[in-house]
Amino acid sequence: MSKKKRFGISEALTRGLSETIHVVENNTGLFRNVILPLSRIELDPDNPRKLAIDLSDIRAGIRPEDPLYARKQDELERLKELAHTIKTSGVINPVVVYKLGEVYRVVAGERRCLASILAGKQEVEARVFNEKPKGFELKLIQWVENTAREDLTLDERLDNVRDIVHEYQLQHGKTEVTATLLKNITGLSLSQTTYYLAAMNAPEDVQIEIQNGGIRNLDKAALIAGISSHDVRKHAIEACRNGSSLKEIRSIISQQKSLKKNRVDLASSARGRNTVKINMGSTFHADVVRQIIESVVSRQEYDKYLDVFSQVNWLDLRQTTKAFRKLIELMERETAL
Amino acid sequence: MEIIAFVNNKGGVGKTTCSKLMAEYLSKKMRTLCIDFDPQCNFSHQYLHMEIDPAAPEGLMPPIHPDYDPHDPDDNDWDGRSSIAEIFYGQGVVPYPTYVPNLDIAPGHAEKLLSAESVRRSEVVDKVHKQLANFLNSPDVHAEYDAVVIDTAPSKGPLTISVMKAATHIIIPSVMEEQPVQGIYGMLQLWMQESLIREKNRPLQLVGILPNMFKQTRLHKDILTSLQDNSAIGKYVLPVKFSQRIVFAEVDAADSSPRSIFDFQDQHVAKNEAMEVCSHIAERIFA
Repeated sequence: MSKKKRFGISEALTRGLSETIHVVENNTGLFRNVILPLSRIELDPDNPRKLAIDLSDIRAGIRPEDPLYARKQDELERLKELAHTIKTSGVINPVVVYKLGEVYRVVAGERRCLASILAGKQEVEARVFNEKPKGFELKLIQWVENTAREDLTLDERLDNVRDIVHEYQLQHGKTEVTATLLKNITGLSLSQTTYYLAAMNAPEDVQIEIQNGGIRNLDKAALIAGISSHDVRKHAIEACRNGSSLKEIRSIISQQKSLKKNRVDLASSARGRNTVKINMGSTFHADVVRQIIESVVSRQEYDKYLDVFSQVNWLDLRQTTKAFRKLIELMERETAL
Repeated sequence: MEIIAFVNNKGGVGKTTCSKLMAEYLSKKMRTLCIDFDPQCNFSHQYLHMEIDPAAPEGLMPPIHPDYDPHDPDDNDWDGRSSIAEIFYGQGVVPYPTYVPNLDIAPGHAEKLLSAESVRRSEVVDKVHKQLANFLNSPDVHAEYDAVVIDTAPSKGPLTISVMKAATHIIIPSVMEEQPVQGIYGMLQLWMQESLIREKNRPLQLVGILPNMFKQTRLHKDILTSLQDNSAIGKYVLPVKFSQRIVFAEVDAADSSPRSIFDFQDQHVAKNEAMEVCSHIAERIFA
């Protein structure tokens, strides 16, 4: 008995049909990729990236009397590197623009546009938003584009975040910005947003140092921003400027802290019975005791006791304790003399 | 004004028949313009005595327009023929009246449409893609008509793309067989490309896939079921369909009487079916 044949459309065709339908349903009118004449492109003056060089500098050359001449020249050199790769392989990612009257304003991709002009291109591939992105979305796009870049300074990144927060508050009212909220907006990790918040709310001396480029690292900025003592902070900023690592700065802070703590402890021991003798404390590590004993007997005036401790088994806590008591006893005697 | 196009890059699936039925149905309710965008000019031939151009082996051209007067100085610059292909040559389109009241046609012109289709790739965007949309968006056309029905060529080329750019609604007629269904895929691709670049407030609406020339065979039923059962495609399969009926072809003959399915007597099964399909589509578009 043969089964009756069943017909259907092929699996590949079914998949193709449903995928195409999904794309349309989810993306209608979102954007379009087109080839745009570079002559129609205009930079966004509000983009928080602080590129000094602009279109006229590229087109007409940087004027020598320009106050920012040196900086622009420097940027131009870096753009030339990008222009070189654009010459050979084109712009890999389309720039993002929106239509503003007769021109297209760049949302993301300033450097790519400038470098394309340098490379002698007439057009650039662009993703065109049909509508101007709302303030907040615009900042977010610029933020995402900018954070994916490596040559952005901490100052520029913080400006980005400030702008996002500002636009968010314009749209949603003056809400308190927490790390969690920032995380939800930007998609960054909670620890990252915590750092950003700390750096944004840092004391003035830290802010100035970030602007001057003395603090270039977000982790360091957040760490230093958290120091309440003015002196310690100054010390840490100094260290940061001199290129100390995060670990080194941390140890500076903890050192200062423990110094302070010790001072406080010494000053506040006036309560209770008069203290007449010193408690030597205790330890689980025989090695501590061994180091103390060894450093004492290595001194010339004690080296005669070297033999007393030569037989101690340092792995045995009982023996080590005994040895320490012996050392105290010997030192009492020596100092009494 | 709504612009309705029947598209499928597989030939012989009934684009022209569906266009004709839809146009005649709409003409009973509103001023309707037919556009024949297929170089084969079959749609035009339904309503006009298309002529063979001796100089052009490619095929048909429209007859002399009834309003053309060789003695009128206004018509000096006109050879008396007008096709929709004039839009590619910067010339005015003068639609022809048809034997159906309220129904005009801008006929095809085989040679001119074919040459528009073969424009060089780099020029196609300016010279072809936007021309139909520009024409249909002109105030003259808007003032004259309430609905436009476009029959298209069985291709995915510049002519069909320009229809996609001009249309407000597309319908994909298809026979429930493997190859025509592949044609659906080709059209969905064009629909996708157009939808992504359209402004949100004027989307290109896919009215749906219209099963055509349907026979109660296992093949047709199974393929229809497999489209309907797919969660993505299913909602775009229209709940109405045209059956395979010889009468749809018979009315195409020039000497048939009556010349429109809608002029048949009320109980006629083909007329009922045409009413059901067309009213359903019209309701989706104009409601």
